Amino acid sequence: MRINWILHILMPVSIVLAFAWAPPVQALGDAGRIIFFHVPVAIVSVAAFLLSGLLSILYLFYHGERFPMLAEKSHNSACLGMLFVILTVITGSIWARISWGSFWNWDPRETSIVILLLVYIAYFSLHSALGRSGSRDRITAVYLIFAMAMVPFFAFIVPRVYPSLHPDPIINPDRQVHLEERMKLTLLASAVSFMLLYFYMFSIMNRMSILKKKIGDRHE
Amino acid sequence: MILQRRLSVKGGSALGSELVRNIIKDVRVEFRSRSALGVALVFAAVTTLAVSMVSGGVPFEPKVQAILLWLIMYFSAMNGLAHGFTREADQGTELFLRIHSDPDAVYLSKLIFNISLFMLVQCVVTPVFAVLMQVDVKDTVHLVLTVAAGGLATASAVTLLAAMVAKAGGRGPLFTVISLPLVLPVLWVSITATGRAISGTAAQGSRDLLFLLAFSGMVIAISFILFRFVWLDE
Repeated sequence: MRINWILHILMPVSIVLAFAWAPPVQALGDAGRIIFFHVPVAIVSVAAFLLSGLLSILYLFYHGERFPMLAEKSHNSACLGMLFVILTVITGSIWARISWGSFWNWDPRETSIVILLLVYIAYFSLHSALGRSGSRDRITAVYLIFAMAMVPFFAFIVPRVYPSLHPDPIINPDRQVHLEERMKLTLLASAVSFMLLYFYMFSIMNRMSILKKKIGDRHE
Repeated sequence: MILQRRLSVKGGSALGSELVRNIIKDVRVEFRSRSALGVALVFAAVTTLAVSMVSGGVPFEPKVQAILLWLIMYFSAMNGLAHGFTREADQGTELFLRIHSDPDAVYLSKLIFNISLFMLVQCVVTPVFAVLMQVDVKDTVHLVLTVAAGGLATASAVTLLAAMVAKAGGRGPLFTVISLPLVLPVLWVSITATGRAISGTAAQGSRDLLFLLAFSGMVIAISFILFRFVWLDE
Protein backbone atom coordinates (compact mmCIF):
# COMPACT_ATOMS: atom_id res chain seq x y z
CA MET A 1 0.00 0.00 0.00
CA ARG A 2 1.34 3.42 -0.87
CA ILE A 3 2.50 5.65 1.97
CA ASN A 4 0.00 8.44 1.17
CA TRP A 5 -2.98 6.03 1.44
CA ILE A 6 -1.97 5.02 4.95
CA LEU A 7 -1.34 8.67 5.79
CA HIS A 8 -4.77 9.74 4.52
CA ILE A 9 -6.38 7.23 6.87
CA LEU A 10 -4.10 7.47 9.89
CA MET A 11 -3.76 11.26 10.16
CA PRO A 12 -7.54 11.95 10.48
CA VAL A 13 -7.82 8.99 12.87
CA SER A 14 -4.99 10.44 15.03
CA ILE A 15 -6.67 13.85 15.11
CA VAL A 16 -9.98 12.30 16.16
CA LEU A 17 -8.22 10.19 18.82
CA ALA A 18 -6.37 13.26 20.15
CA PHE A 19 -9.51 15.41 20.47
CA ALA A 20 -12.27 12.90 21.18
CA TRP A 21 -10.91 9.63 22.54
CA ALA A 22 -7.87 10.40 24.69
CA PRO A 23 -8.66 11.62 28.23
CA PRO A 24 -7.75 15.21 29.20
CA VAL A 25 -4.28 15.71 30.68
CA GLN A 26 -4.21 16.05 34.49
CA ALA A 27 -4.15 19.68 35.71
CA LEU A 28 -4.11 21.04 32.14
CA GLY A 29 -7.47 19.80 30.91
CA ASP A 30 -8.19 19.88 27.19
CA ALA A 31 -5.32 22.31 26.57
CA GLY A 32 -2.96 19.46 27.37
CA ARG A 33 -4.04 17.68 24.20
CA ILE A 34 -1.32 19.66 22.44
CA ILE A 35 1.01 16.88 23.66
CA PHE A 36 -0.32 14.73 20.79
CA PHE A 37 1.04 17.25 18.27
CA HIS A 38 4.05 18.77 20.05
CA VAL A 39 5.83 15.51 20.91
CA PRO A 40 5.41 13.93 17.41
CA VAL A 41 6.65 17.02 15.54
CA ALA A 42 9.63 17.21 17.94
CA ILE A 43 10.41 13.54 17.23
CA VAL A 44 10.14 14.12 13.46
CA SER A 45 12.35 17.23 13.60
CA VAL A 46 15.15 15.26 15.28
CA ALA A 47 14.56 12.22 13.00
CA ALA A 48 14.75 14.43 9.87
CA PHE A 49 18.01 15.90 11.10
CA LEU A 50 19.45 12.45 11.83
CA LEU A 51 18.36 11.18 8.40
CA SER A 52 20.08 14.20 6.82
CA GLY A 53 23.25 13.29 8.67
CA LEU A 54 23.04 9.62 7.70
CA LEU A 55 22.44 10.51 4.03
CA SER A 56 25.44 12.83 4.24
CA ILE A 57 27.60 9.96 5.54
CA LEU A 58 26.45 7.83 2.61
CA TYR A 59 27.15 10.74 0.26
CA LEU A 60 30.71 11.20 1.48
CA PHE A 61 31.65 7.54 1.44
CA TYR A 62 29.50 5.91 -1.26
CA HIS A 63 28.15 8.60 -3.56
CA GLY A 64 27.93 7.82 -7.23
CA GLU A 65 25.79 5.43 -9.21
CA ARG A 66 25.15 3.13 -6.27
CA PHE A 67 23.24 5.79 -4.30
CA PRO A 68 22.27 8.66 -6.63
CA MET A 69 21.02 12.10 -5.55
CA LEU A 70 22.17 11.67 -1.94
CA ALA A 71 23.17 15.32 -1.49
CA GLU A 72 19.78 16.51 -2.75
CA LYS A 73 17.97 14.02 -0.51
CA SER A 74 19.98 15.12 2.50
CA HIS A 75 19.16 18.76 1.75
CA ASN A 76 15.46 17.93 1.30
CA SER A 77 15.39 16.17 4.67
CA ALA A 78 17.01 19.22 6.28
CA CYS A 79 14.37 21.49 4.66
CA LEU A 80 11.61 19.36 6.18
CA GLY A 81 13.45 19.18 9.49
CA MET A 82 13.51 22.98 9.58
CA LEU A 83 9.75 23.08 9.03
CA PHE A 84 9.11 20.56 11.81
CA VAL A 85 11.50 22.21 14.24
CA ILE A 86 9.65 25.53 13.75
CA LEU A 87 6.38 23.69 14.45
CA THR A 88 7.98 22.19 17.56
CA VAL A 89 9.01 25.61 18.84
CA ILE A 90 5.54 27.08 18.17
CA THR A 91 3.58 24.20 19.77
CA GLY A 92 6.08 24.06 22.66
CA SER A 93 5.66 27.80 23.31
CA ILE A 94 1.87 27.45 23.39
CA TRP A 95 2.16 24.52 25.79
CA ALA A 96 4.67 26.44 27.97
CA ARG A 97 2.27 29.40 28.15
CA ILE A 98 -0.53 27.10 29.32
CA SER A 99 1.59 25.09 31.79
CA TRP A 100 4.15 27.54 33.11
CA GLY A 101 2.54 30.92 32.37
CA SER A 102 5.03 32.26 29.81
CA PHE A 103 5.85 31.43 26.21
CA TRP A 104 9.54 30.88 26.84
CA ASN A 105 11.39 29.81 30.01
CA TRP A 106 14.82 28.66 28.77
CA ASP A 107 14.24 25.24 30.19
CA PRO A 108 17.12 22.92 29.09
CA ARG A 109 14.87 21.07 26.66
CA GLU A 110 13.55 24.30 25.16
CA THR A 111 17.13 25.43 24.78
CA SER A 112 18.02 22.16 23.05
CA ILE A 113 15.33 22.61 20.41
CA VAL A 114 16.39 26.22 19.84
CA ILE A 115 19.96 25.04 19.31
CA LEU A 116 18.65 22.50 16.78
CA LEU A 117 16.79 25.34 15.02
CA LEU A 118 19.98 27.42 14.97
CA VAL A 119 21.91 24.45 13.54
CA TYR A 120 19.39 24.23 10.70
CA ILE A 121 19.66 28.00 10.08
CA ALA A 122 23.46 27.74 10.09
CA TYR A 123 23.29 24.84 7.63
CA PHE A 124 21.14 26.84 5.20
CA SER A 125 23.44 29.87 5.59
CA LEU A 126 26.45 27.74 4.70
CA HIS A 127 24.55 26.13 1.82
CA SER A 128 23.68 29.51 0.31
CA ALA A 129 27.15 31.00 1.01
CA LEU A 130 28.79 28.20 -0.96
CA GLY A 131 26.51 28.95 -3.93
CA ARG A 132 26.89 26.56 -6.81
CA SER A 133 30.54 25.73 -6.12
CA GLY A 134 31.60 22.17 -6.78
CA SER A 135 32.50 21.55 -3.15
CA ARG A 136 29.13 22.74 -1.77
CA ASP A 137 27.56 19.30 -1.41
CA ARG A 138 30.67 17.86 0.23
CA ILE A 139 31.16 20.71 2.72
CA THR A 140 27.49 20.92 3.71
CA ALA A 141 27.49 17.13 4.14
CA VAL A 142 30.45 17.44 6.51
CA TYR A 143 28.63 20.19 8.43
CA LEU A 144 25.53 18.03 8.83
CA ILE A 145 27.56 15.04 10.06
CA PHE A 146 29.49 17.28 12.43
CA ALA A 147 26.28 18.81 13.78
CA MET A 148 24.62 15.38 13.99
CA ALA A 149 27.49 14.14 16.16
CA MET A 150 26.70 16.97 18.58
CA VAL A 151 22.96 16.29 18.77
CA PRO A 152 23.35 13.78 21.63
CA PHE A 153 25.04 16.49 23.70
CA PHE A 154 22.32 19.10 23.42
CA ALA A 155 19.29 16.86 22.82
CA PHE A 156 19.90 14.16 25.39
CA ILE A 157 22.80 14.87 27.76
CA VAL A 158 22.25 18.55 28.68
CA PRO A 159 18.49 18.19 29.45
CA ARG A 160 19.27 15.26 31.72
CA VAL A 161 22.29 16.77 33.44
CA TYR A 162 20.56 20.06 34.25
CA PRO A 163 17.19 20.32 36.04
CA SER A 164 14.27 20.66 33.65
CA LEU A 165 10.69 21.89 33.99
CA HIS A 166 9.64 19.44 31.29
CA PRO A 167 7.51 16.42 32.14
CA ASP A 168 9.47 13.27 31.42
CA PRO A 169 6.95 10.75 30.18
CA ILE A 170 9.03 8.91 27.61
CA ILE A 171 12.55 8.62 28.97
CA ASN A 172 13.05 8.67 32.74
CA PRO A 173 15.13 6.88 35.38
CA ASP A 174 12.40 4.20 35.80
CA ARG A 175 12.39 3.55 32.02
CA GLN A 176 8.60 3.67 32.21
CA VAL A 177 6.08 5.60 30.14
CA HIS A 178 3.98 7.50 32.69
CA LEU A 179 0.88 7.94 30.54
CA GLU A 180 -2.57 6.41 30.57
CA GLU A 181 -3.12 3.61 28.06
CA ARG A 182 -5.43 5.66 25.80
CA MET A 183 -3.05 8.61 25.84
CA LYS A 184 -0.12 6.33 25.09
CA LEU A 185 -1.95 4.81 22.11
CA THR A 186 -3.02 8.23 20.79
CA LEU A 187 0.51 9.57 21.11
CA LEU A 188 1.86 6.54 19.24
CA ALA A 189 -0.73 6.92 16.44
CA SER A 190 0.06 10.63 16.18
CA ALA A 191 3.82 10.01 16.11
CA VAL A 192 3.42 7.42 13.32
CA SER A 193 1.12 9.80 11.38
CA PHE A 194 3.58 12.68 11.54
CA MET A 195 6.44 10.38 10.60
CA LEU A 196 4.46 9.19 7.57
CA LEU A 197 3.66 12.81 6.70
CA TYR A 198 7.37 13.54 6.79
CA PHE A 199 8.21 10.59 4.52
CA TYR A 200 5.40 11.51 2.13
CA MET A 201 6.66 15.11 1.83
CA PHE A 202 10.23 13.81 1.61
CA SER A 203 9.34 11.52 -1.33
CA ILE A 204 7.60 14.40 -3.18
CA MET A 205 10.63 16.67 -2.67
CA ASN A 206 12.97 13.94 -3.89
CA ARG A 207 10.88 13.47 -7.04
CA MET A 208 11.03 17.23 -7.60
CA SER A 209 14.83 17.15 -7.23
CA ILE A 210 15.06 14.39 -9.83
CA LEU A 211 12.87 16.38 -12.24
CA LYS A 212 14.97 19.53 -11.66
CA LYS A 213 18.13 17.59 -12.39
CA LYS A 214 16.67 16.10 -15.57
CA ILE A 215 15.55 19.55 -16.77
CA GLY A 216 18.98 20.98 -15.89
CA ASP A 217 20.77 18.18 -17.76
CA ARG A 218 18.56 18.76 -20.82
CA HIS A 219 19.40 22.49 -20.84
CA GLU A 220 23.11 21.72 -20.67
CA MET B 1 39.65 8.65 -4.50
CA ILE B 2 39.42 10.10 -1.01
CA LEU B 3 39.29 6.63 0.51
CA GLN B 4 42.38 5.62 -1.47
CA ARG B 5 44.21 8.64 -0.09
CA ARG B 6 42.97 7.75 3.37
CA LEU B 7 44.54 4.29 3.02
CA SER B 8 47.89 5.81 2.15
CA VAL B 9 48.23 7.48 5.53
CA LYS B 10 51.82 8.25 6.37
CA GLY B 11 53.68 6.69 9.24
CA GLY B 12 53.59 8.17 12.73
CA SER B 13 57.03 9.78 12.63
CA ALA B 14 56.41 11.39 9.21
CA LEU B 15 53.08 12.71 10.44
CA GLY B 16 54.73 14.00 13.62
CA SER B 17 57.47 15.86 11.74
CA GLU B 18 54.93 17.38 9.32
CA LEU B 19 52.81 18.39 12.28
CA VAL B 20 55.71 20.12 14.04
CA ARG B 21 56.77 21.80 10.77
CA ASN B 22 53.24 23.16 10.19
CA ILE B 23 52.91 24.41 13.76
CA ILE B 24 56.28 26.20 13.55
CA LYS B 25 55.21 27.71 10.22
CA ASP B 26 51.89 28.95 11.68
CA VAL B 27 53.59 30.39 14.76
CA ARG B 28 56.23 32.16 12.62
CA VAL B 29 53.60 33.64 10.30
CA GLU B 30 51.55 34.76 13.30
CA PHE B 31 54.65 36.17 15.05
CA ARG B 32 55.48 38.23 11.93
CA SER B 33 52.06 39.82 11.59
CA ARG B 34 50.53 39.22 15.05
CA SER B 35 47.22 39.88 13.36
CA ALA B 36 45.13 37.11 14.94
CA LEU B 37 46.42 37.53 18.49
CA GLY B 38 46.68 41.31 18.31
CA VAL B 39 43.11 41.80 17.07
CA ALA B 40 41.77 39.33 19.65
CA LEU B 41 43.51 41.03 22.56
CA VAL B 42 42.61 44.57 21.46
CA PHE B 43 38.96 43.51 21.00
CA ALA B 44 38.94 41.90 24.45
CA ALA B 45 40.58 44.93 26.10
CA VAL B 46 38.22 47.45 24.45
CA THR B 47 35.11 45.41 25.31
CA THR B 48 36.17 44.81 28.93
CA LEU B 49 36.99 48.50 29.39
CA ALA B 50 33.68 49.53 27.85
CA VAL B 51 31.67 47.18 30.11
CA SER B 52 33.66 48.26 33.19
CA MET B 53 33.19 51.95 32.34
CA VAL B 54 29.44 51.60 31.74
CA SER B 55 28.98 49.62 34.97
CA GLY B 56 30.68 52.46 36.85
CA GLY B 57 32.83 50.12 38.90
CA VAL B 58 29.86 48.40 40.52
CA PRO B 59 30.46 44.61 40.54
CA PHE B 60 27.83 42.46 38.81
CA GLU B 61 26.43 39.18 40.13
CA PRO B 62 28.61 36.07 39.53
CA LYS B 63 26.30 34.76 36.80
CA VAL B 64 26.42 38.07 34.89
CA GLN B 65 30.20 38.23 35.30
CA ALA B 66 30.49 34.70 33.90
CA ILE B 67 28.29 35.57 30.90
CA LEU B 68 30.30 38.72 30.12
CA LEU B 69 33.63 36.92 30.52
CA TRP B 70 32.69 34.15 28.09
CA LEU B 71 31.10 36.47 25.55
CA ILE B 72 34.21 38.65 25.52
CA MET B 73 36.55 35.65 25.23
CA TYR B 74 34.46 33.97 22.54
CA PHE B 75 33.92 36.96 20.27
CA SER B 76 37.48 38.25 20.66
CA ALA B 77 38.92 34.87 19.68
CA MET B 78 36.52 34.20 16.79
CA ASN B 79 38.46 36.24 14.23
CA GLY B 80 41.75 34.62 15.18
CA LEU B 81 40.36 31.09 15.17
CA ALA B 82 39.18 31.41 11.56
CA HIS B 83 42.37 33.20 10.54
CA GLY B 84 44.50 30.04 10.32
CA PHE B 85 42.63 28.76 7.28
CA THR B 86 41.46 32.01 5.70
CA ARG B 87 45.05 33.28 5.69
CA GLU B 88 46.15 30.20 3.72
CA ALA B 89 43.39 30.88 1.19
CA ASP B 90 44.06 34.64 0.98
CA GLN B 91 47.84 34.26 0.56
CA GLY B 92 47.48 31.46 -1.97
CA THR B 93 49.43 28.96 0.14
CA GLU B 94 46.49 26.58 0.52
CA LEU B 95 47.27 24.59 -2.63
CA PHE B 96 50.93 24.27 -1.66
CA LEU B 97 49.97 23.03 1.80
CA ARG B 98 47.46 20.60 0.30
CA ILE B 99 50.07 19.10 -2.01
CA HIS B 100 52.95 18.91 0.47
CA SER B 101 51.24 18.05 3.75
CA ASP B 102 49.05 15.22 4.85
CA PRO B 103 45.52 16.44 5.72
CA ASP B 104 45.80 14.84 9.17
CA ALA B 105 48.96 16.86 9.89
CA VAL B 106 47.32 20.05 8.61
CA TYR B 107 44.24 19.51 10.78
CA LEU B 108 46.21 18.67 13.93
CA SER B 109 48.59 21.60 13.47
CA LYS B 110 45.69 24.07 12.98
CA LEU B 111 43.91 22.53 15.97
CA ILE B 112 46.96 22.91 18.22
CA PHE B 113 47.48 26.46 16.93
CA ASN B 114 43.84 27.37 17.62
CA ILE B 115 43.86 25.82 21.10
CA SER B 116 47.09 27.68 21.93
CA LEU B 117 45.70 30.95 20.57
CA PHE B 118 42.46 30.64 22.51
CA MET B 119 44.30 29.71 25.72
CA LEU B 120 46.64 32.67 25.25
CA VAL B 121 43.68 35.01 24.83
CA GLN B 122 42.11 33.47 27.96
CA CYS B 123 45.33 33.88 29.94
CA VAL B 124 45.31 37.61 29.22
CA VAL B 125 41.57 38.29 29.26
CA THR B 126 40.60 36.42 32.45
CA PRO B 127 42.90 38.28 34.91
CA VAL B 128 42.26 41.67 33.22
CA PHE B 129 38.51 41.02 33.37
CA ALA B 130 38.75 39.90 37.01
CA VAL B 131 40.57 43.10 37.97
CA LEU B 132 38.47 45.57 35.96
CA MET B 133 35.11 43.97 36.79
CA GLN B 134 36.02 43.40 40.47
CA VAL B 135 35.37 39.67 40.27
CA ASP B 136 35.66 38.11 43.73
CA VAL B 137 36.55 34.51 42.88
CA LYS B 138 35.72 32.03 45.65
CA ASP B 139 37.05 28.89 43.94
CA THR B 140 40.09 29.84 41.84
CA VAL B 141 41.15 26.28 40.96
CA HIS B 142 37.73 25.44 39.61
CA LEU B 143 37.60 28.71 37.65
CA VAL B 144 40.98 28.01 36.02
CA LEU B 145 39.97 24.43 35.15
CA THR B 146 36.62 25.55 33.73
CA VAL B 147 38.14 28.31 31.62
CA ALA B 148 40.79 25.92 30.30
CA ALA B 149 38.30 23.11 29.54
CA GLY B 150 35.84 25.55 27.94
CA GLY B 151 38.62 27.03 25.80
CA LEU B 152 39.72 23.57 24.70
CA ALA B 153 36.15 22.61 23.75
CA THR B 154 35.51 25.87 21.87
CA ALA B 155 38.77 25.83 19.91
CA SER B 156 38.27 22.13 19.05
CA ALA B 157 34.73 22.70 17.81
CA VAL B 158 35.52 25.64 15.53
CA THR B 159 38.69 24.38 13.81
CA LEU B 160 36.85 22.26 11.22
CA LEU B 161 34.27 25.02 10.76
CA ALA B 162 37.08 27.51 10.04
CA ALA B 163 38.25 25.27 7.18
CA MET B 164 34.68 25.23 5.79
CA VAL B 165 34.42 29.03 5.98
CA ALA B 166 37.75 29.41 4.18
CA LYS B 167 36.28 27.27 1.37
CA ALA B 168 33.23 29.53 1.29
CA GLY B 169 35.40 32.58 0.68
CA GLY B 170 36.26 33.42 4.27
CA ARG B 171 33.21 35.59 4.95
CA GLY B 172 33.54 36.81 8.55
CA PRO B 173 29.91 36.72 9.76
CA LEU B 174 29.41 33.26 8.27
CA PHE B 175 31.94 31.80 10.70
CA THR B 176 30.02 33.16 13.69
CA VAL B 177 26.68 32.03 12.22
CA ILE B 178 27.76 28.43 11.59
CA SER B 179 29.86 28.01 14.71
CA LEU B 180 27.62 29.57 17.36
CA PRO B 181 24.90 26.86 17.36
CA LEU B 182 27.53 24.13 17.74
CA VAL B 183 29.47 26.01 20.41
CA LEU B 184 26.37 27.06 22.37
CA PRO B 185 26.29 23.90 24.53
CA VAL B 186 29.94 24.58 25.45
CA LEU B 187 29.26 28.24 26.24
CA TRP B 188 26.17 27.29 28.22
CA VAL B 189 28.00 24.75 30.39
CA SER B 190 31.12 26.93 30.69
CA ILE B 191 29.12 29.99 31.78
CA THR B 192 27.19 27.95 34.35
CA ALA B 193 30.37 26.37 35.71
CA THR B 194 32.25 29.71 35.75
CA GLY B 195 29.38 31.35 37.64
CA ARG B 196 29.50 28.55 40.20
CA ALA B 197 33.28 28.88 40.55
CA ILE B 198 33.03 32.64 41.10
CA SER B 199 30.30 32.28 43.72
CA GLY B 200 31.95 29.24 45.31
CA THR B 201 29.02 26.86 44.77
CA ALA B 202 30.78 24.43 42.45
CA ALA B 203 29.29 21.24 43.86
CA GLN B 204 28.63 19.94 40.31
CA GLY B 205 32.05 21.10 39.11
CA SER B 206 33.42 17.73 38.09
CA ARG B 207 30.30 17.00 36.02
CA ASP B 208 30.71 20.25 34.07
CA LEU B 209 34.38 19.56 33.46
CA LEU B 210 33.57 16.01 32.37
CA PHE B 211 31.01 17.34 29.90
CA LEU B 212 33.49 19.82 28.42
CA LEU B 213 36.29 17.25 28.14
CA ALA B 214 33.96 14.60 26.64
CA PHE B 215 32.70 17.18 24.16
CA SER B 216 36.27 18.13 23.18
CA GLY B 217 37.32 14.50 22.71
CA MET B 218 34.30 13.68 20.56
CA VAL B 219 34.61 16.83 18.45
CA ILE B 220 38.33 16.31 17.81
CA ALA B 221 37.73 12.67 16.77
CA ILE B 222 34.89 13.58 14.36
CA SER B 223 36.79 16.56 12.95
CA PHE B 224 39.89 14.41 12.41
CA ILE B 225 37.85 11.95 10.32
CA LEU B 226 35.94 14.58 8.35
CA PHE B 227 38.66 17.17 7.76
CA ARG B 228 40.04 15.59 4.56
CA PHE B 229 36.60 15.84 2.92
CA VAL B 230 36.71 19.61 3.41
CA TRP B 231 40.38 20.09 2.72
CA LEU B 232 40.92 17.94 -0.37
CA ASP B 233 39.27 18.64 -3.70
CA GLU B 234 38.00 15.63 -5.59
